[in-house]
Amino acid sequence: MAKNRKHQAASIRFGPALKASFLCLLIGGSAIGFVWQKNEIYRLGQQIGQREAKLKQLRNDNKRLGDQITILHSPVMLDQRAKELNLGLAPAQPLQVVRLDETPSPAKDKNVSRQFTQRPVAGLTP
Amino acid sequence: MTNKLQIKRALLLLAILGAAFAGLGYRLVDLQIFRHDELSTKAQHNTQREFRQAPRRGDILDANGNILATSVAVKTVCADPSLIGNQPDAVAHVIAPLLQLNEAALAQKLTPRSFVFKNSNGEIVTNELHYVRLAKNVPEETWQRISAALTNLTFGVDEKKLSRTNREFFRNLRRHAVYSEADQMRVYPNGLLAGQVIGFPAVEETNVGGHFISKIVGCDGVELAMQKPLSGVAGWRVTETDKAQRELVAWRDEDVYARDGLNVVLTIDSAVQHIVETALAEALQKHTPKSITGIVMRPRTGEILAMVSLPNYDPNKSSSITPESRNRVITDVMEPGSTFKIVVVSGALNNGTVKLTDQFDCEHGHFAFAGRVLHDHEAYGMLTVKEIITKSSNIGAAKIGIKLGEKNLYNYASEYGFGQRTGIPLPGEARGFLYPVKQWSKVSIVQIPMGHGVAVTRLQMLQAMATIANDGWLMRPMIVSRLQERDGSVVQTYQPERVRQVVSEATSKLMIEALKTVATKDGTAAEAALKNYVVAGKTGTAQKVENGAYAPGKYIASFLGFFPADNPELCISVVMDEPKEGYYGGKVCGPVFRDIAERCASYLNIPPDPKLMTNAPPLVVENLNHRSQNP
Repeated sequence: MAKNRKHQAASIRFGPALKASFLCLLIGGSAIGFVWQKNEIYRLGQQIGQREAKLKQLRNDNKRLGDQITILHSPVMLDQRAKELNLGLAPAQPLQVVRLDETPSPAKDKNVSRQFTQRPVAGLTP
Repeated sequence: MTNKLQIKRALLLLAILGAAFAGLGYRLVDLQIFRHDELSTKAQHNTQREFRQAPRRGDILDANGNILATSVAVKTVCADPSLIGNQPDAVAHVIAPLLQLNEAALAQKLTPRSFVFKNSNGEIVTNELHYVRLAKNVPEETWQRISAALTNLTFGVDEKKLSRTNREFFRNLRRHAVYSEADQMRVYPNGLLAGQVIGFPAVEETNVGGHFISKIVGCDGVELAMQKPLSGVAGWRVTETDKAQRELVAWRDEDVYARDGLNVVLTIDSAVQHIVETALAEALQKHTPKSITGIVMRPRTGEILAMVSLPNYDPNKSSSITPESRNRVITDVMEPGSTFKIVVVSGALNNGTVKLTDQFDCEHGHFAFAGRVLHDHEAYGMLTVKEIITKSSNIGAAKIGIKLGEKNLYNYASEYGFGQRTGIPLPGEARGFLYPVKQWSKVSIVQIPMGHGVAVTRLQMLQAMATIANDGWLMRPMIVSRLQERDGSVVQTYQPERVRQVVSEATSKLMIEALKTVATKDGTAAEAALKNYVVAGKTGTAQKVENGAYAPGKYIASFLGFFPADNPELCISVVMDEPKEGYYGGKVCGPVFRDIAERCASYLNIPPDPKLMTNAPPLVVENLNHRSQNP
């Protein structure tokens, strides 16, 4: 037996060593991959959280700025500014208005006033 | 011997190890199986957090999309005094100027303290205070400045030389001792404009686990009436947090977004509302009445474009909200006076009881009936029905009432909606009083036609006038046009609603003919006439009732009218309570009506009456349809 072991063709067997190394690499790689993946999940989670907060902030800012525009365009504000700046603006008198002869489409419902029918229909009904 | 001893030792070791493993096994079973529910709940409680996501309250917009009420994101600044330790003064010194609070009072709030309470088992427990609220409605920018100031806060010690525990303490103080909670604040950018229609908010707070959840609720006007659609639905998020209370997004369990409240679009037009408020404010200065109201309505649809009652309030300032600043248009009732004559005359015309040309003897201003004497403000002889309206003869109206009969008069008044709520979606609307015929006295049949013995709201009276303008059809007053999402998509549209036809179209035309004569030099409201439009209207001057009797020298003056008379676009009501410098409806309210009508006509671009435009230059330029076909 001893003789046989002594006279083996190759004293280092690469096959098992390779297998062992591969196994070690696989296990080690999986472990590192698992930890890396967990870190990525955590990091991306933090990013998602931050971006959600940022998005919320931007939406709030957008709403606030949109409101500011609407408020600055409001008739009350415009009237106030016109008075403050003393621009001499006044409502047009009926005789100063030039009317174009535009044949209106007849109102289907008698109950609906002309002013009402002149509003854009799109977006009024669900 | 050796073997036996070794075997014994091995067995002993085995027994010890076996017992140890058995003990561990038992512990494992105990923890994992027997106490599983209890411990898993405890573990979840340690890591799992539930965050409530408050919905944003919807905006209130006018008919053109102008913002009347909106919600602004703000912060509620809170603190955990247990993390502040012996540094409340230093923290207060930094944040008090930013929050505009008294530094000493703030330091007092930040000082750690304990409180004693009874737990669910009835045991008295001492606990450290972990939550104090420092300020509400703090703008986002201010919070960012507070946050930056706390991050850069130094305490006059070299923290590198401190022990790990002390370093941890200062780090926690900077990061977690003062924090903010998301909140919202209701803002009314136009201040007083349509304040009573919009209403005002209050904050309702619920204590959940020591933390206060606040919710904005409406207290008046549209804010109250449309509370449900405006509120939205709260969302929630069940998630886990790390030691620093940062969310671990990967462990998010439930995430239900809040559904924001819907935007409520009103029929109110800011510009018209502003016109009416300005005109009424000028009249308030001139006649110094106790109150003055104005309404602008589209008679064809019942849409209310403006509703004003002065004195009014600014919903941004709770101190300005007083009982005197209520919305008198719907909450107060009054005897209408002569404006009520439209009810009896239109009823009699519709019934065929009278014609416009029928004549009545107006008894030269004195008419005795059932032991009472009725008076006219001038001595009239024979007047036609049309002239009774023109001159506003009480005796003439009373005689028409007698001819119409009690039952018919009651029926017509009831059909016009008196004694019932109009159904406008605003809280606090009064019904008014219209007593059934069996409760009438002998003089009721002559009192009611001249607008006494009946109590109405200003809105009911305008609704009746609008009925005549609308071919006899009574429309339900509209204040809410539609509900929509934030992106503008419409969820619900409120359509104009015909309630009933009170008088025929022919009758309404006859009434308009009669009402056109009021705003002429022969009528009672020459001051209400417009340069470019024919006005149909009626004046009213009613003596006020105080303590069950008519108060001498105290009147309610009113003018109700619509224009252009033959194609009515707007119906306007102006009512003054106890005006000075004159008290006749035509004299004091007529000019205010004219002022409002002229400005509204200009703003809404209502075409002038062709009959009154004879001297005007030809204004027709070309036919646009023709132009589009032949470019």
